[in-house]
Amino acid sequence: MRKRLVTRSIVLCAVLALGAAACGSSSATANSGTSASAASSTQAPDGSGTPAGSGTPSNSGTPSSASSAANTTPVTITVSNKPPASSPGDLKAFEQRIKDFQAANPNVTVNGSEIAWDPQTFAAQLAGGQLPTVVTVPFTEPQSMIQNKQISDITADLKTIGLYDQLNPAALSVTQDKAGEVYGIPIGGYALGLVYNRALFTKAGLDPDKPPTTWDEVRAAAKTISQKTGAAGYAQMTQNNTGGWMYGATVYSRGGTLESSDGSKAAFDDQSGKDALDALTQMRWTDNSMGTTFLYDMTSISKDFAADKIGMFIGAPVNYILAVVQDGMKPASFGLGTMPQGSTAGGSMSGGAVQVISPKATADQRLAGVKWIAFSLESSLDQAKAVAAAKLTASQGLPVGLPGVSTLKATNDQEYLGWVKSYINVPLTNFATYSATVNSIKLTPEPSNKAQEVYAKLDALVQKILTDKSADVATELSNTSSAVNSLLGR
Amino acid sequence: MSSTNLDQAGAASTPAANPARTNSSPVTRSAGGPTSTGSSTPPSRSSAVRRWWARGGLSAVVLAVPAIVIFGYFSWGPIIRGVVMAWQRTKLDQPTTWVGWSNFSYVFTLPELPQAAINTVYFMGLALLIGFPVPLVLAVVISSLRTKRWLYNILSYLPVVLPPVVAILLWKVFYDPGSTGLFNTVLGWFGLGPFAWLNSPDLAMPSLVLESTWAAAGSTVIIYLAAMASVPKELYEAAELDGAGIWRKIWTVTLPQIRGIILIVLLLQIIGTAQVFAEPFLFTGGGPANRTITLLMLIYNYAFVYNDLGAASAISAMLAVALAIISGLYFLATRRWSR
Repeated sequence: MRKRLVTRSIVLCAVLALGAAACGSSSATANSGTSASAASSTQAPDGSGTPAGSGTPSNSGTPSSASSAANTTPVTITVSNKPPASSPGDLKAFEQRIKDFQAANPNVTVNGSEIAWDPQTFAAQLAGGQLPTVVTVPFTEPQSMIQNKQISDITADLKTIGLYDQLNPAALSVTQDKAGEVYGIPIGGYALGLVYNRALFTKAGLDPDKPPTTWDEVRAAAKTISQKTGAAGYAQMTQNNTGGWMYGATVYSRGGTLESSDGSKAAFDDQSGKDALDALTQMRWTDNSMGTTFLYDMTSISKDFAADKIGMFIGAPVNYILAVVQDGMKPASFGLGTMPQGSTAGGSMSGGAVQVISPKATADQRLAGVKWIAFSLESSLDQAKAVAAAKLTASQGLPVGLPGVSTLKATNDQEYLGWVKSYINVPLTNFATYSATVNSIKLTPEPSNKAQEVYAKLDALVQKILTDKSADVATELSNTSSAVNSLLGR
Repeated sequence: MSSTNLDQAGAASTPAANPARTNSSPVTRSAGGPTSTGSSTPPSRSSAVRRWWARGGLSAVVLAVPAIVIFGYFSWGPIIRGVVMAWQRTKLDQPTTWVGWSNFSYVFTLPELPQAAINTVYFMGLALLIGFPVPLVLAVVISSLRTKRWLYNILSYLPVVLPPVVAILLWKVFYDPGSTGLFNTVLGWFGLGPFAWLNSPDLAMPSLVLESTWAAAGSTVIIYLAAMASVPKELYEAAELDGAGIWRKIWTVTLPQIRGIILIVLLLQIIGTAQVFAEPFLFTGGGPANRTITLLMLIYNYAFVYNDLGAASAISAMLAVALAIISGLYFLATRRWSR
């Protein structure tokens, strides 16, 4: 559940970010600003911090203007994730964006809706006709939505407005069916990495500029930290489905996976799945370097991390917002390194937000919706808008310059960073090893089939390993695997 | 649907026993009219209707209609719908299909189901062991006090005033597993601990019971105190004349006099603890390793996290039936004693 909150907020953030302008280039940067505000308002920010849109080609300016001329039929669309009245700044920016868009597309009326994607209500809203035309959902969802015909094919519309060729093909694959038709536009993404406390690293005599890059190094560093500082050297989220999420991340980083490619079977009962648990067993029971708390979710782990009780955990750039903006950690103490790898390097788990169009939209609404998404992407490429957004974000004490995964094909990250240079308020050097690898490391999305249910089973597995000394890794792994198999077979 | 329905289902079982008995007279009376007269003459039927009309039967119906409609639509309707859904596959955006017993056979393959059932029974047992005597003892003690009774009344009721979520989050801090946690610090003065509390598979459930006892005792104390106030003073006077001490009075006068209330409270507690949700949900999320996952949490997860309303309804229906059976057995077993 926490995980859901997390994804929901990812989405929220991403959307805001996007809209606000950000996404531009290193979008991470731009966005993060706005997204950050969203995040903090919802209290469970997430990956979006990272969204990164990265660069849209600068020529993207063309799409909306070209398209708007073409169609003059009056059409009304609804867009999700309108900020609540309790966040007046975000709301104002959102409304301004609508005004700007309507000025550029006089035939389109845009209504904001406070509805945000929520797995509990999505199907009901769709059935009841209350689903906004444009909805922002996390990376994990589009595939099953495509299968269930819950979202619209927008390939033709993307081509019409000229955006199709500007999207990052790797990110786009999240929203494509087997035939390559596109059902959504990724607007922000993140990869998981190693969040570490630089102050504790220094205190333990470790080099804060060289975070561990392999799981063996993580174990060694955790041991040192716990011995020298008394804090938990390494901690891991385990609760409310974050346990499965994190276990998946550690399995991925060892070259394994959670589900078979068609999502019909559990695929973690292998060497990488076992290694991931063995590493936990060793840190927990042999080295005693994981502290005393083993029920963590996104919020609670951030609190203990910011309070210098945890040396390292797996997280994302958004954890900077949680730890620094929300939990009061010193920016200088926050470090984010690349995802530690196993003996077989597997890359990193990634996630993010995708904007999709309701299947109930008419052809005109669909086109208008796609234009709306494109408009937001486009606005981030405008220097004046990007600078204004960065300025606003920085003035609110929110981070500008967080690194992240590019979701748009493009190369103007550097250009964007140049524009907003004077507003960057994030200690970029603390992210050095993450930034260096985030756009080259192998990225794998979360499992596509019943991810939350699978995570729930894995929560129990990881908790068992961490709280029961007599638990046998191989037995527990095979039991959980068969439980997941019967779940996926339902 | 789950929790509300269960509440209703659980509560419904209580009155269910009585209506059968009390209803019998009106039923026979009204039914007796038509059936007996059916063979004889029509006029007597119309006279029955006229009598009914004259007695204001219509206005009674009119008065009852809004309540019946509202209850029917918002309370009984969802209950029935919830039960029906146990035999359906409900995907809100797709047509609902009948799936026979497959939801039931599916939930029986879930390893979490027996685990949750065991956990729930374990919680009920611990709550019975700890949570049942505590308010009774408190009430007896408070009622025996000569001064400042109001103060202890307030003190015992205070935890109830705290919103449950706040109380639970507060206790979560107390249960900090580090040696600097509040409880561990206090216990440390006596050379105990540190305990892992919620992070220990064995201590997690007792920790939840401890908090819920603290949180719930107050309202039960108030009920007991009210019941004790209604015990006739003469009985105590008679007992005193017979030379009874304070314990003797409690044992032979107070407790027997309020046993009806005790039985009802016990039943409510059994039904309430069978539906425990907030504590495991907020304290542990069901962990560690499902050691505190309860039936209601399982239902919640299936209904609202996994969108498997069929499975959730199947578990709900079975829980409701189990609670109804327990309530029925309870009434049978205690019928003589409670009179």
